[in-house]
Amino acid sequence: MQWLRSPRLWVAALALVAMVLLPLWVSEYVLGVLTIAYYFGVFAMSWDLLFGYAGEVNFGPTFLIGIGAYVSGMLNIYTSVPMVLCIAAGAVAAVIAGVLLALPALRLRGAYFGLVTLVSVLILQTVIVLFASYTGGEIGFSVPSILSIDSGVNYYYALAFMVVSGMVLLAVARSPMGLILQATGQDPLGAQALGFNVTKHKLAAFCLSALFSGLAGALTIFYLGSVSVNTVVDLAVTVQIIIAAVLGGRRTIVGGALGAIFLIVAAEYLRPIGELSNLVVAAFALIVLLFIPDGFLGLFPRREARS
Amino acid sequence: MTLLLQVLVDGFVIGALYGLGAAGFTIIFGVSGVLNLAHGGVMVVAAMVAWMVAGGILHASLLTGVVCGVAAGMVTAYATYYLVVRPAQRSRRIPDEEREIFILTATLLLGIVIQEGIAYLFTSNPVTVPPLVSGVVHVFGVRTPTNELLIGVISWVVLGLLWLFVNRTRQGKAVLAASINPHGLAMLGFELPQIHRLVWGLYGLLGGVAGVLLATFEGASSGLVGGLTASAFIIVVLGGLGSVPGSLVAAYVIGFMETVTAYLISPAIRTLPGMVLLLLILYVRPQGLLGRR
Amino acid sequence: MNTSARKTIWTLGSFLAAMVLVAGVSLVAPAAHAKTKAPIRIGVIAPFSAIDGASIINGAEMAVDEINKAGGIEGRPVKLFKYDNHASATDAVRAFQRAVKQDHVVAIAGTFISEVALAIEPWSARLHTPFIVTGAASTKITGEVHNHYARDKYVFHNWLNSDFQGRVVCDFAKDELVGKLGYKTAVVMSEDAAWTQPLDVSYLKCLPKAGLKVLDHIRFSPDTNDFTPLFNKVESEHADVIIAGWAHVGVKPTVQWHQQQVPALLAGINAQAGASSFWKSTNGDTEGVITGTAGVSGAAVTPKSEPFTKAYTKRYHTTPAYNAYSTYDSIYMLKAAIEREHSTNADKLVTGLEKTDYLGTVGRVKFYGRNDLYTHGMEYGKDLVQTVVFQWQHGKQVPVWPHRVSLAKLEVPSFVKQHVAMNR
Repeated sequence: MQWLRSPRLWVAALALVAMVLLPLWVSEYVLGVLTIAYYFGVFAMSWDLLFGYAGEVNFGPTFLIGIGAYVSGMLNIYTSVPMVLCIAAGAVAAVIAGVLLALPALRLRGAYFGLVTLVSVLILQTVIVLFASYTGGEIGFSVPSILSIDSGVNYYYALAFMVVSGMVLLAVARSPMGLILQATGQDPLGAQALGFNVTKHKLAAFCLSALFSGLAGALTIFYLGSVSVNTVVDLAVTVQIIIAAVLGGRRTIVGGALGAIFLIVAAEYLRPIGELSNLVVAAFALIVLLFIPDGFLGLFPRREARS
Repeated sequence: MTLLLQVLVDGFVIGALYGLGAAGFTIIFGVSGVLNLAHGGVMVVAAMVAWMVAGGILHASLLTGVVCGVAAGMVTAYATYYLVVRPAQRSRRIPDEEREIFILTATLLLGIVIQEGIAYLFTSNPVTVPPLVSGVVHVFGVRTPTNELLIGVISWVVLGLLWLFVNRTRQGKAVLAASINPHGLAMLGFELPQIHRLVWGLYGLLGGVAGVLLATFEGASSGLVGGLTASAFIIVVLGGLGSVPGSLVAAYVIGFMETVTAYLISPAIRTLPGMVLLLLILYVRPQGLLGRR
Repeated sequence: MNTSARKTIWTLGSFLAAMVLVAGVSLVAPAAHAKTKAPIRIGVIAPFSAIDGASIINGAEMAVDEINKAGGIEGRPVKLFKYDNHASATDAVRAFQRAVKQDHVVAIAGTFISEVALAIEPWSARLHTPFIVTGAASTKITGEVHNHYARDKYVFHNWLNSDFQGRVVCDFAKDELVGKLGYKTAVVMSEDAAWTQPLDVSYLKCLPKAGLKVLDHIRFSPDTNDFTPLFNKVESEHADVIIAGWAHVGVKPTVQWHQQQVPALLAGINAQAGASSFWKSTNGDTEGVITGTAGVSGAAVTPKSEPFTKAYTKRYHTTPAYNAYSTYDSIYMLKAAIEREHSTNADKLVTGLEKTDYLGTVGRVKFYGRNDLYTHGMEYGKDLVQTVVFQWQHGKQVPVWPHRVSLAKLEVPSFVKQHVAMNR
């Protein structure tokens, strides 16, 4: 059981215990901040599966998140479907949308794939604004159901979701499929030559990413009690997700969660400088990207040798 | 009939302006292999500086404002290259196969930094640069602000100068060759760093002029940075990455599509047909209309 | 020390650092304790970087400073907490939650974007904290209060909603555009946003009654950059005046209207034109533009209007936007409600606010009641709140309506004048 001796595992366990016990010490407001951070963590971890492993830069994670959010939100408003089913429906819708987008898009390389994902977000935004009478347009709408008013309960929902998602995504990343993904990401021709179906694996990764993104998107709006283009579709959100994943360390999955927590907590610290906080965060991320491209977690390399 | 003429006039100017911005963008890709996602930043910085000097704060002459604006655009382009792109291209910490993605993300972040910087200094409210000339002119019965037509003409003059430069001067031909095969050029003894210096300066010039002209016509604000980058990206991919004639054609295609949509259907969805067209092209002919790679 | 031990120390060390970071966040904010007896805490939320947003913050600040100088509320000083919502619904909701749970405010004022106000509204209900919207115009804000009174009664809308703003424009049109200029036709041109939906309904209903035939009704996307096709349409219909519904846009269509020399007067609502910096942003192209706002320098709407405008301009080096007035009034109205009920309890505050009958800087403010259509909305009327319509003339905002505050006649830009003369 050599893995039991891994310091990383013990650190992770300690961190988990700390996070679970946190509500005993900190104020409700801090819990609220962390709740958002945890959902963001899932956005970032899902993104890392695609970027760090499959090597596809997705400029439109908010396409999947937005579909998950809007479908579940609209179901909640216009029908009497129970909230849990709305959330599930949102996740399913995100996966379907992901497949429809990915199938043709994965035939394209690098920058072109990125462009398609970018355009998909722009189109989604235009469509939402166009059908404003149903979707609330730019204004968005409030949803009648929410997960809970209690900050503590919301915190635990988010924490549990993040931990479970993280474990699933990590398991996939470490599995044989994950290794194949890495191979196809770094050397698609080589991987193909070895007989792996590159497209099939990338598609699977995309679906998984879509599932968690959509689920997280739906949960986020039932936490906030409202959905709008600003919150779940806007390009600004995409940029934050990318920053979070990069800061934490790409190709680590867990890095995404770390980066998201760091980002959102840092934004709180930067509150006093108001407007400049976005600039500072982006500038900081840029510096990290250039000089510490492996991110925070990259400073602690795994013991396994890289082939 | 007047409607058709209005569409033609309006579309002509919009296409020219889009073309100017896109031309620089595609040259950079051709020579440096970089898709500069901070492109909008070059244009908006130029516009803001022009406004600051000529209109809002220093009240200098319009010409001074324009010159300062274009210069600011070039400074931004150089800053992008020397502070972000070149370090990313040379960094040994970044694995080669991921370099392209890193540069893409880095320029994206730079774009955000520029956008937020502008918003902090100038607020997010739009400003306009005073028009180059005022008054209106009647073109085939369509009343158009003279400034608007002048913008179209200036854009084409600049593009013409660009063509002359690339095809008739030694350095220009080197740039053209570099855009086709940078390594081959190095083997022939050309100094690549010098080429890059030239190209990025050229890019700043083109973007700066486009930004200032846009500001006299439609105004500029920090919020435009993302949208301008997205439009340029779409046009350049449509036309074929690396091909200047391609991006000009695409600029007009998109420009006219948007104008026709705005006039005949509704301004609300003017960008939609262009985006759908882009998706179709990407699936059917990814190298774009006139692309090489 | 071997590598793996060093690594362990590294990882444990960084983990501890992370814990300190998280704990630190809770220490950065004031420690939570039960409602303090001493200061009365009030929160104000707005986007700092927008001119209209800064107005809200400044208006609140001025009111609080004045109240504290005069002895506070029932002897207690007022402490103002400011929050930047970055014009985003999420940030606004988080700011609201922070204000209530962390900073323990008794009431919150602010925001001028309907989207944001509507996102905050359910949280005002869930957290039982009064929320006074000091801008925005969507009728949904009060609609929610009317339909779900017991739940949403904590929300008050201290600005005229779109329905009334439309009526203001029509009253102005009747007196000035039809009565004095003899205009006959108009085109309604609004940005496609939630606040303009009831506005346009109002326009279409009352403009004909005011004497203007509505030739066309144009709605455009707020991120339109090129207004040429729309202005060409207006021109081809030979309308005398454009009745606008603009708030998210302002600079671009105004500049293009001027440069294209569109032969129709520009009136209605052009919210951004209410800011004094608009002249500079448009390089003077706003000459002749007419719009409504809460207060304009020189317009003595109430005895409090001019002193406020002067004091604000002196302190902040720019004229107050409309919601500086409404936010300033809101703080005073809160004071009156607290004094009336001798309590800062949420439900008592609601009762207290409902009894508001306050002569502020925008007029005499009263809120509609439970059984009125616009529950907790600002009452509109000649002796209540009517706002002011002004025109940009030679670089200055000159009030032109209502009659008792007007300082000059309407001027018509030359390129418009010719056209109308031709059409007679």
